[in-house]
Amino acid sequence: MALQLQHTFTGHTDKCWSISVHKTLPLLASVSSDKTCRIYNTNTRKLVSILDENTHTKTMRSVAFKPTGDFPSLAIGSFDSTISIWGKDSDDFTDEESMNNTNNNNEWMLLAILEGHENEVKCVDWSFDGTYLASCSRDKSIWIWETDETNEEFECINVIQEHDQDVKYVDWHPARNVLSSCSYDDTCRVYKQDEYDEDDWTCVCNLTGAQGTVWCSDFEDGDGQSSLRLVNCSDDSKVRVWKKLTGKDNENGALPSTLKDEEEWELDSLLPSVHESSVYGVAWSSNGLIASCGSDGKIAVYKEQAKLNSYSNKQESEWVVLATVSLAHGVYEINCVKWGADNQLFTAGDDGNVKLWKLDI
Amino acid sequence: MSDPINANPTVLDVSQLPTRGETLGKASKSNAEETEESLIYSNLFNFSLLSTVADKSHYNDYNDLLLPELTDDDLSSLSSADDVEETEQRSVSHLEAIDPQEIYDLIATICDPEHPLTLGQLGVVNLADIKVTDPTDKTQIAEVLIRITPTITHCSLATLIGLGIRVRLDRCLPQRFRIVILLKEGSHQSENQVNKQLNDKERVSAACENEQLLKVISHMFSTCQ
Repeated sequence: MALQLQHTFTGHTDKCWSISVHKTLPLLASVSSDKTCRIYNTNTRKLVSILDENTHTKTMRSVAFKPTGDFPSLAIGSFDSTISIWGKDSDDFTDEESMNNTNNNNEWMLLAILEGHENEVKCVDWSFDGTYLASCSRDKSIWIWETDETNEEFECINVIQEHDQDVKYVDWHPARNVLSSCSYDDTCRVYKQDEYDEDDWTCVCNLTGAQGTVWCSDFEDGDGQSSLRLVNCSDDSKVRVWKKLTGKDNENGALPSTLKDEEEWELDSLLPSVHESSVYGVAWSSNGLIASCGSDGKIAVYKEQAKLNSYSNKQESEWVVLATVSLAHGVYEINCVKWGADNQLFTAGDDGNVKLWKLDI
Repeated sequence: MSDPINANPTVLDVSQLPTRGETLGKASKSNAEETEESLIYSNLFNFSLLSTVADKSHYNDYNDLLLPELTDDDLSSLSSADDVEETEQRSVSHLEAIDPQEIYDLIATICDPEHPLTLGQLGVVNLADIKVTDPTDKTQIAEVLIRITPTITHCSLATLIGLGIRVRLDRCLPQRFRIVILLKEGSHQSENQVNKQLNDKERVSAACENEQLLKVISHMFSTCQ
């Protein structure tokens, strides 16, 4: 089992920080300290568009495609403390050929600039149905923005201030209005939408234990009802899987979680050690694999498998390493990892490149 | 600047500072090596930010500054992986490992933000506190670990000094180097806090886009030849 390099997307002239893979369309977006966002067609591997137009005065740190809408749109968070929203012209989209036209930059339009954060925006992410955009910043806050299909109106409906330090990352659950955040304060938190007041978000748990900044988190795919898990990674070179305890797991007779705001979460697994230094990115694929990348230039892919506990005679699970690649971006650090369709993996590095890998099983 | 935070620091005489002369004087070197080295050093002398600042008309902003690399390793040219490997292989044969003295020479000449003295003279940077792990294979990741000693334990400029050192090394060292900057144990009351900040890649990147901060740092580099 190995990760095979299939393609290298070049072009950024500085660190590439973040990538986003569109949920349904063959589109890949990458952002960089060179203050541009490059959009590629993942089928043809051709550059589709470059978004810059001097929109942001500092590093573009984070990019996220909106999962819904008739036409593709995305959000970019920048160190200049603003967020820009871009969308494709509705009329042009019927023209499939234009997707491959590298010269036609006018197709993507700047739809909105969101201001409000006091300093660097570190991450942006859309909720599963595209209703909400979450953003986080060094100002220690998370903003929840509500929007519509046109992406022209954004209203901040809540400012969450739970972390003591910079909020490094926000991630929405793929099927529910559940949000997680990672911070420089070494914690990762989970928030739930209030059942009565839709604009209200409550922190339901605080995942502690990392010995250093938590850089990234990703929820497991699924309906989030029967089982809720997330994976996160941190400066202490560890990758951890956390699990929400259900009534069945909760044997100590505590109140059911519906009667209080807090949820019981526990460390489900500490993944096998692969990394030697800060782990910057982690991603959970729809078919259950986890990938991680970090400052040591390594990529690792892990798989969960059943194991019989010889003492209790119960079925348990353990994570094993399926594949690793060292110096995956040469001597450069790797900032972000994202899964595509069919076991495709995308990574972004300080060399400015985005690499496409295929996991051969 | 108003009242200095440490008004009366201990100052070392320049002649007391470690130099290449002491270590290399004894070792005889071949002509080829000497030429190689003088080349590297003449490159080094071009690093001063002062000259580029004076010549600012060519640059719209500091981020555009492109400084030469310490070695002839071409990694900075953001080429594809295959190209990098080829270039690397060709250059490996005549590359020397980077040693602590070389790192010392790069950072000891940085000027303290509040005294007209260098970090070497103030004993903030010491040769013995620089550790270099540089594998012979230049396609591997290398590391420089520097422990700095602030002049006083509550020095609020420790972060700025550390950032200055990081920026200087980021600009001069080949990309394979990971730079770790720590305060010497017990040398500062917020040691962990400062260490965390100095080694947070994202915070350092953001700081490097702060014009005010860059101005102060380029002033600190004005004493680097």
